[in-house]
Amino acid sequence: MTGTTDNSEVRTDGGETGIVPPDDETPSWSERKERKQGLARTTYEYFERSRREDQDLRQQSDYIERDVLGFPTWPHEMIRNLALTSFFVGMIIFLAATLPPHIGAPANSGVTPPIILPDWYLYWSFGLLKLGPLNPDLALLGGQKLMADRTFGVLANLVVVGAIAIVPFLNKGSARRPVEQPFWASVGVFGVILSVTLAALSVKNLLPIDAHLTFDLTFLLPFVGAFITYAVLKSMREGYMFELNRRYYRLRPPK
Amino acid sequence: MGLERKDDHDHEAWIEEREFTRLETVYLTVLVWLDKRLRIVDYLEILENLYYKVNMQMPKSHTEQYGLDNKFWYWYPLYALGSFSTIAYIVAAISGALLGFYYAPAATGASGDPSIAYESITMIMTDLNFGFMLRSIHRWSAQVMVAAVFLHMLRVYFTGAYKEPRELNWLIGIVLISLTLLFGYTGYLLPWDQLAFWAGQIGVEMSLSIPLIGEWVAQLIFGGFTPNPATLQRMYILHVFFLPFVVTALIAIHIAIVWMQGIAEPH
Ligand code: HEM
Repeated sequence: MTGTTDNSEVRTDGGETGIVPPDDETPSWSERKERKQGLARTTYEYFERSRREDQDLRQQSDYIERDVLGFPTWPHEMIRNLALTSFFVGMIIFLAATLPPHIGAPANSGVTPPIILPDWYLYWSFGLLKLGPLNPDLALLGGQKLMADRTFGVLANLVVVGAIAIVPFLNKGSARRPVEQPFWASVGVFGVILSVTLAALSVKNLLPIDAHLTFDLTFLLPFVGAFITYAVLKSMREGYMFELNRRYYRLRPPK
Repeated sequence: MGLERKDDHDHEAWIEEREFTRLETVYLTVLVWLDKRLRIVDYLEILENLYYKVNMQMPKSHTEQYGLDNKFWYWYPLYALGSFSTIAYIVAAISGALLGFYYAPAATGASGDPSIAYESITMIMTDLNFGFMLRSIHRWSAQVMVAAVFLHMLRVYFTGAYKEPRELNWLIGIVLISLTLLFGYTGYLLPWDQLAFWAGQIGVEMSLSIPLIGEWVAQLIFGGFTPNPATLQRMYILHVFFLPFVVTALIAIHIAIVWMQGIAEPH
């Protein structure tokens, strides 16, 4: 902001107001705070604290000041994205011109087609609807199922989406690369393979594989993939982390 | 202050006196005219402030600072997937708006007769100049968008970009991917061919299977317990009215957050 450069003391109370040219009557941020009560006051107090924190961090660090740890979106990211845009749109048009969609027979409630499928991107969800055999039946209820198979399928969808949603609250910390956290990388690979095998399950009558085998493979393959990922990353990890840490700590020795 | 202007404030005289080029004169006249009425200079000042806060205080990145970039460069092209989703969405929006000029959702009933919706699609494909291509572009941009969104999510996952402070964007992303799939599903029903009808049937059954409120949900979203003209009407409104507003707003928020936070770095 203006007017702070010649002061040695940096103001962290929001400085002067932006729009109206300040005169003696214009209240500063802390003065405004004094006049407030309750929530408004707490808000001002918090603002002041966080400004102070920023300022302290800036003064402590020996590199150029920054508020956020990330690549600037502009221009760092956008330049590349804009450069790729025309290729990307070209690809869509090319696909559209070479592989145009066709339209089937008109809707007819009297004739059930032999194959009913949604678009490919919903196959995984459709596969989850076919998990009937996993639906637990309780001995107490005399072998009755706790819920209908299709309720179970819908629930499975919700569970999958919910599981993805809570990932950031389970896996914290600053590690970013798969090698740094082989476990989470293998969870990811598990998910990717599961979505593919579920998709295969949903079109099982089109696959030249025995239906029971498909069902078993659906759950076996993800574990296999996850295990391999874990093993590979775990063994890569040692050497990789050594290199990374060496360069990192040489520049920024641990306190 | 009197009614008479002081010379200092006579902007028109100033413009004349300075002998600007034609372009500059026009520009300044418009600017002065607008500023007198709307005080836009205040807002320009706010914007400028914002610009410097957003762009200028963002210094050398951590990765550049520590020379870590050669450790992950092969991930880097994948960082374009989020914009690819956005671009595909825009292409779909434009081609969809054009398709909307010719498409009508009315079905004549579930009795098995071909419906108006179906016929308007065949009309677009066979009679309309460029219509087949238009439908093809719309279809493909939708498919590509879904693919890009899936892959974008994977790249965010495998680069650990969802961690603090970006959890909120991950959650918004979950909502976005669900809505994208819903977009696809509602669009899939619009041609009202056999596949659409029976995909609708599955949707109805899925909502019916929700405990307690199942029937109510089926009524609300599908307008009945079997696919019928009301279903088509509802899918149409969801597809061309409801979802576009919601998804566009959410994408804007999603990207605004990325803009404020910067792209996550690998360390
Ligand atoms: C309509 C769908 C979506 C659009 C248009 C979209 C758009 C974007 C864009 C343009 C970025 C900037 C970085 C990049 O391009 O990679 C971004 C970042 C991000 N997106 Fe999405 N996204 C969508 C869906 C999702 C989904 C499904 C998720 C995850 C569940 C997600 C989570 C994130 C996160 C956490 C970031 C920040 C990543 C970082 O800072 O490196 N987004 N999104």
